[in-house]
Amino acid sequence: MTPTHDRITDRLSEWLDGGLVPAEHAEVEAHLAGCGDCAAIAEELRAVRTEAARLGPIAPAADLWPGILARIQEESARAVDTGEIEPARATADGARRGRVVRMTRRQPPVWSFTLPRLALAASLLVVLSGGMVWLMLTNGGGRESAVARRQEPGRQEGPAVSGTPAMAAGFDVARYEATISELEQVLVTHRSELDTSTVRVIEQNLATIDRAVEEARRALAADPASRYLNTHLASQLRQKAQLLRQATSLVVPS
Amino acid sequence: MDNAGPGPSPRIGQPEVGPAAAERDEAARAAAGDTAAFERLYRSHVGRIHALAARMLSAEEAPEATQDVFVRAWQRLETFRGEAQFGTWLHRVAVNVILTRRAAHGTRRSRFVEGDEVLETLPARTGRSDLGMDFESALAALPGGARQVFVLHDIEGYRHEEIATLLGVTTGTTKAQLHRARMLLRRRLAE
Repeated sequence: MTPTHDRITDRLSEWLDGGLVPAEHAEVEAHLAGCGDCAAIAEELRAVRTEAARLGPIAPAADLWPGILARIQEESARAVDTGEIEPARATADGARRGRVVRMTRRQPPVWSFTLPRLALAASLLVVLSGGMVWLMLTNGGGRESAVARRQEPGRQEGPAVSGTPAMAAGFDVARYEATISELEQVLVTHRSELDTSTVRVIEQNLATIDRAVEEARRALAADPASRYLNTHLASQLRQKAQLLRQATSLVVPS
Repeated sequence: MDNAGPGPSPRIGQPEVGPAAAERDEAARAAAGDTAAFERLYRSHVGRIHALAARMLSAEEAPEATQDVFVRAWQRLETFRGEAQFGTWLHRVAVNVILTRRAAHGTRRSRFVEGDEVLETLPARTGRSDLGMDFESALAALPGGARQVFVLHDIEGYRHEEIATLLGVTTGTTKAQLHRARMLLRRRLAE
């Protein structure tokens, strides 16, 4: 291509879109009238633009709504736990006091995720949780909160006792532990359907999270009234439940 | 941010289902916490948002990016005041989320290949008569910067000034990138 052709072809898109000043537009038009090669390129560019305008929606292969709903619910629960928003209350004039997540339908969450992402999530979790707990312990404990019953030191996971710090902080440990137990049973039942590498990753991740949960419980044993630590434990359990849901979705259709 | 700055051209944002007023009502219910209403909005718009994510990022990243968009939209529903159509507002949220995601992952994107040679790595045409699938494949193989501009301009209908603001570049750059994308794609379609 000669410099003239290059100069013309470089401006063909703008010519096509009507973006050239009149003098330039006329120059391109005059060249195209006498140059078959450049005219052919111009038509090909027009075809590209036409084809692009025809492109339509692309539906995802899997329904993404369950995962979206789970994240929305997770954020709402976290916002209430941390006091960011108050639970909505109905008022006479219908004014909104906080976002209410009305669970009109609860579906088992389905995640589109990869094993590396699962491993990364668990690693980030233990780094964050370990760091925060260390900060809490070295700073002499967390914020004061309402008086709460102290859990047995070294207590392993199991049903929460009524009146424990986690209950005092407004978080139902028993509910999450029940959910975790159910999901763990599902995984045990369907373990043979998973390949060994997947099982290994899942077990490693669960072990990582369990260590984080145990750290949180030990910290709570030293400072049972800490609102932060109670919220932190709740967050760990919630994360474990979420990871288990992701793992069970591999074997159980949503 | 979601109600300010550039937005798509008028042809964009037409609700796929139901009149605009009905969607505004759904958005209002969703903003009050009604997840069923938000799900209906999701069902109406997920195809367009997922397509945008797939074309701007990749098919692999699109599902997660699409989730990010709708979660972000849920978080920002209170900023939708009904002045624009819900689809237009949602699309703007999607572009912001996708561009942020792309910037965050930019250094790790192994597919960000600059240069005309990128199309040489595409597999040979299978002989399918589905031009749309070939076009999507060719689009996916474009260099990242050119693909972004092409998607926003030729597919989504943004003007150069709007794209330049979104990407933080000049309109000279966006026009050059658009032309480059079209020239690369025309070779594919001409085969």
